[in-house]
Order: sequence, then structure tokens, then C-alpha cells
Amino acid sequence: MFDRDIWQEIFNTLKTNKLRTFLTGFSVGWAIFILVMLLASVNGMQNGFVGSFNDDATNSIFVRPGTTSKAYGGFEAGRRIQLKNDDLEYIKKSFPEDIEYISARYYANATARYKSETGSYSVQATHPDHQIIEKTVIISGRYVNEADVVNKAKVAVIGRKVAEDLFNKEDPLGKFVEFNGLPFRVIGVFTDDGDDNAERRVYAPVSTYQRIYGNTNNINMIALTYNPTYDLSKALEFSGRLEDLMKRRHKIDPDDQAGLYVWNYAEAFDDISSFTAVLKGIGIGVGFLILIAGIVGIGNIMVFTIKERTKEIGVRKALGARPRQIVNLVLLESVFITTISGFVGLLFAWIILAAIGPTIETPAFSNPSVELSTVVTATIILIIAGVLAGLLPAMKAANVKPIVALSDK
Amino acid sequence: MIEIKDLHKSYKMGSNSLHVLKGINFKVEEGELVAIMGSSGSGKSTLLNILGMLDGADTGEYTLDGVPIKNLSETKAAQYRNKFLGFIFQSFNLINYKSALENVALPLYYQKVPRKERQEKAMKYLERVGLKPWAGHLPSELSGGQKQRVAIARAMAAEPKVLLADEPTGALDSKTSYEVMDLIQKINDDGNTILVVTHEEDIAHMCKRIVHLKDGVIVEDKKIEQVRAEQYV
Repeated sequence: MFDRDIWQEIFNTLKTNKLRTFLTGFSVGWAIFILVMLLASVNGMQNGFVGSFNDDATNSIFVRPGTTSKAYGGFEAGRRIQLKNDDLEYIKKSFPEDIEYISARYYANATARYKSETGSYSVQATHPDHQIIEKTVIISGRYVNEADVVNKAKVAVIGRKVAEDLFNKEDPLGKFVEFNGLPFRVIGVFTDDGDDNAERRVYAPVSTYQRIYGNTNNINMIALTYNPTYDLSKALEFSGRLEDLMKRRHKIDPDDQAGLYVWNYAEAFDDISSFTAVLKGIGIGVGFLILIAGIVGIGNIMVFTIKERTKEIGVRKALGARPRQIVNLVLLESVFITTISGFVGLLFAWIILAAIGPTIETPAFSNPSVELSTVVTATIILIIAGVLAGLLPAMKAANVKPIVALSDK
Repeated sequence: MIEIKDLHKSYKMGSNSLHVLKGINFKVEEGELVAIMGSSGSGKSTLLNILGMLDGADTGEYTLDGVPIKNLSETKAAQYRNKFLGFIFQSFNLINYKSALENVALPLYYQKVPRKERQEKAMKYLERVGLKPWAGHLPSELSGGQKQRVAIARAMAAEPKVLLADEPTGALDSKTSYEVMDLIQKINDDGNTILVVTHEEDIAHMCKRIVHLKDGVIVEDKKIEQVRAEQYV
């Protein structure tokens, strides 16, 4: 294979047919270029989707109560389910292994006033864990802590927009702001990648709000994150167990979809990954179809070359060339053209991706790129393609009868 | 060296079959210089193809240097051709992108002789045909006579038992033809067995024996007084 004579011959045929070699090589290079670009695009879409979900922890589960739609356990349909503090404790105790962070959410609205500025904001009263579940980024001060919850402290973490609205240029930390007439001390300011609305929100200790609203222990929602080492199937299995348990606890028919909602992000990711897998499949499929056109092109040029060189091959056989040696020559030439042109296509795709990929940053499409594994796979595909393209012409060449070299007709 | 017994060969032409060789019996001793003559259609090329293992016979025996040539696989045939036979063609059949030296070295390449040794040997044979100064030239830079001399050097490079020449002077003018025949005679003088297919009387008479073929049979096989080509050069 690493014979100087063989390479000399290959270069010679390529040199004498420069344009033809270029055109056929181009088809394979182009095919690989498109294949890589398609895969990179799918990758970019995947990055975009994942990025748009990153607002929340990707391993989070939300439990929301609803209204039953089926009669069950002696209760009629249409019963409103209410979650309470007990439920949170119960879940915590039931799944010590599975749960990473857990927090209640209590929703309220507040008309806020600081000096002469007023505004209306939604309040989420939570536990300290909520910061991690929601990926809340504190830009100054701190989040609600355990002591705040225990003391039912009237403290608030306000969004960046809230701070802008109410405090203008003033530093809000430590200032007292009135929510529905009650003074809350601002302990932190947060920002959120999501959107402006997310920053027009106020976080407060869940216990504080429960006391304000009639000493209740009701909660509107439970948010939690599961053990991050769980894979998709384990995560889904866990949310299934959680749902079963909560339904039993609240005497909801296990088949009742409306009584209790358990929303697992993993499901959404499952959808996304199957979606991108399909896209990837389509990308690979289209790329392959184009590559086949390239292979046929190379096969074509090889058949042509061999037809032109029939006499030469005959002479070689008369001089004692074995069929195998002829086959090797043709195959090597074909693999050589395919690999080189494929790599050129790969290189172009890579350069383009490296140059413009990182600059693309939209919600649905970000940083298209290829992994090393794609490159390795493409290389293997190229070599196989080269062999496939050369195989038929090579056999044809090996079957050339040396007799044709003798006949001068 | 060569022994042929009752050789038959026919070609299928549609529904008809064309009987080309109708029982050839023929023997060549070592060191002979034999001319095979005959008009076109006499079967001389077919005979040469069979002798060159480029084509198989239907029936009959062919023994080359004591080795029976029968039912050869492509690979085996290639090996035997390389070992036993050297071909000289009417149209030279040099490989146009290889230099004279590389052309001569080609049979040695197929014998898997190492590159360096190959080139030394090839150079030796080029010298013998008087073309050492042209070793690096491409065939397109050589005259017809020079090309044929390169081809002869190539045929000899593998040191075959028999040289087969198919109309070696067919594409050359008479002066060059005699030069080539002079070379062939000298190679024969060194003890090489050579078969020359030709339809030219003067060329045939420069051999030591003439075999006449007509309609697939040998009609005449005679030893002759060799005319030396030297005197015409």
C-alpha cells in the first residue's frame, strides 16, 4: 500500500485528468460538507432548545393541585385539592434518596409602595431551596434563608425591574417597602435570564405569607429537584412514584388526570431529545443520499479511467501483474480521491462552523458545532465510500483480458 | 522448451463456431529463433496468444519448459507469464507516463524485486539495447525504433525462458526494422529462445526456422539459412 510505484501511478492518472478528478472529488467533498453542516445545525437546534429551558433547573419537578374529575374513595368528582405544608414534609420524608431540593410556593399579589413610587407585583412565597430550583441569580444581598422562614420574617427579595421601578437610583438593600400596607425589608435583588416579567416578581418566606393570609398552611405548588445523577428513565420512574403517592394521599383516582399535576422537566427533555434525534436522523439520511451521488460519481470516473487504460492494464497483465495487484491499484486510487476530497469538505465545514458558530445565539438555534466523533465517523464513511466506489471498476479492471493488449485493433 | 500436441481452438461466433486452430503439433528447442508466418486469418495470432497464456486452448497439450500449461487461474497465469515469457508487441505498448527505465523495471516490480535492484537490472538491459543515455526519457520522447528497443529490454528484464514477439517490426520502417531484428538476432545468439510472428518474408528469413500456418494447420516447417540483419544496418 505504501509503495512508491503505486502512488506514482495514482498521482499520474490524477494529474492527467485534473478537471475530471476535481469535479468528482467536489461531489464527495460537497456531500461531506452538507452532512457536517446538517449535523451541526441539528446540534445548534438542540443547544438552542436546551438553552431556552435553562431558566429552571433541568432536573426539576412541579406538583400542582387541581380539581378531581372522577369520583373516588367516597368522594364525588369536582373536589378541589389543596396542598398543605404537611404535603411538603410528607414528600420530603418519603423520598429522602430521590429529592435534592424542595420548596413550597405560595402565590400572592402585592401592591408595593416605596416613598412616592408604587407598583403591582406578583409575590412567590417560598422556601430557601427555591433559589436553586428556579436558578434565581442574586445580584446583591441574599435570598430567603431558613431563619426567615422560621421567624416568619417580613423580608423580600425583589426583582431587578422592581428595584428600578420603586427605588430609582437608590440602593434598595435594607430599605422597607410596603406590600399591601405591610412593611417588608428588602434583603436582596435578583435577576433572571428568562424575561422582564420574571424580574417583576418578589420572593418572600412562605411562612410569612401564610401568616398574613389568615394563618393558613395552604400552599399552591411544590417545586423540587431530583437527584441529578438520575437518567431520564429513572427520573420518569421517580415522578411516577411521586404522583402515585400524592394521589393516594389525597384520595384521587390514579387515572384522574385533572386532580393533581406532576410536571417533570425530564419529559420535556425526552420530547426534545427524540425530536432532535429524528432531525439528526433526517440530517444523516439526506447527507448519505448526497454522499451516494458522490460515490456514484467517483465510481463513474473510475470506470472511465479503466476503460481508457484497458490496454495498459492488459500490458501489465501480460508482464505478470496479478489480478489482485490491479484491484489494489484501482481501489487505492478511489479511496485516495474520496478521502482527500472528503477531508477538504470536512475542513471547509469546520472552518465555517468555527468562524460563525459561536456568534449564532438565538433561542431556537445556538452555537452549531460538530463533535470529534462525527469527524471520525465521517472519515470511516469516506474510506468505505471510496472502497465501494472503486470496487466495481476494480473488478472490471481485474477482468480485463491481457489478450486485448496484444490485439492492435 | 515448447511442446504443443494436437492443439485445437475454436471461437463461438453467434450460432456458428469458427475453428481457428485445427490440430497444431509443434516443438521448439532451447535457443531457437522461429518465425511464425501466415496470412491474416491463418491462426498465427491465436497460436501466439495460447503460447503466451493469454488465451486457453480447447483441446491438446501445451508444455512450457517442462511445465504443463492447463486450467490456470488468473493469478497462476500471471505468475507463469512473469516467470516464463517476455512479450514484444507491434505497437510497443510502453506505459506512456513512465520513463524508459521504469518501463523496463515493470516486470521486475511484479516479481517483487526491491526497487533499487530493479533499477540496476533495468539499467543493465537498457544498456544492452543501447539506450542507457535515454533511461530517463518518456516514451513520447523516443523514436519508434527506440521504443521497440525499450520494449525488448522490458521483455528481457524478467529473464524469461521464451521471448514472444508479435509483429515486432510491423510499425517500423525497413531500416529500423533491420536494426530491431539485428538486436533480436544478437539476443538469440546469447542463447535465448525467441518466437517471432510476422508476415514479412525478409523478416522471417532473418530467423533460423520458418513455420507456415494456413487455415489453422501447419503447412510448412523448415530450417533456413539465417540472413544476418547486421549487413543492412
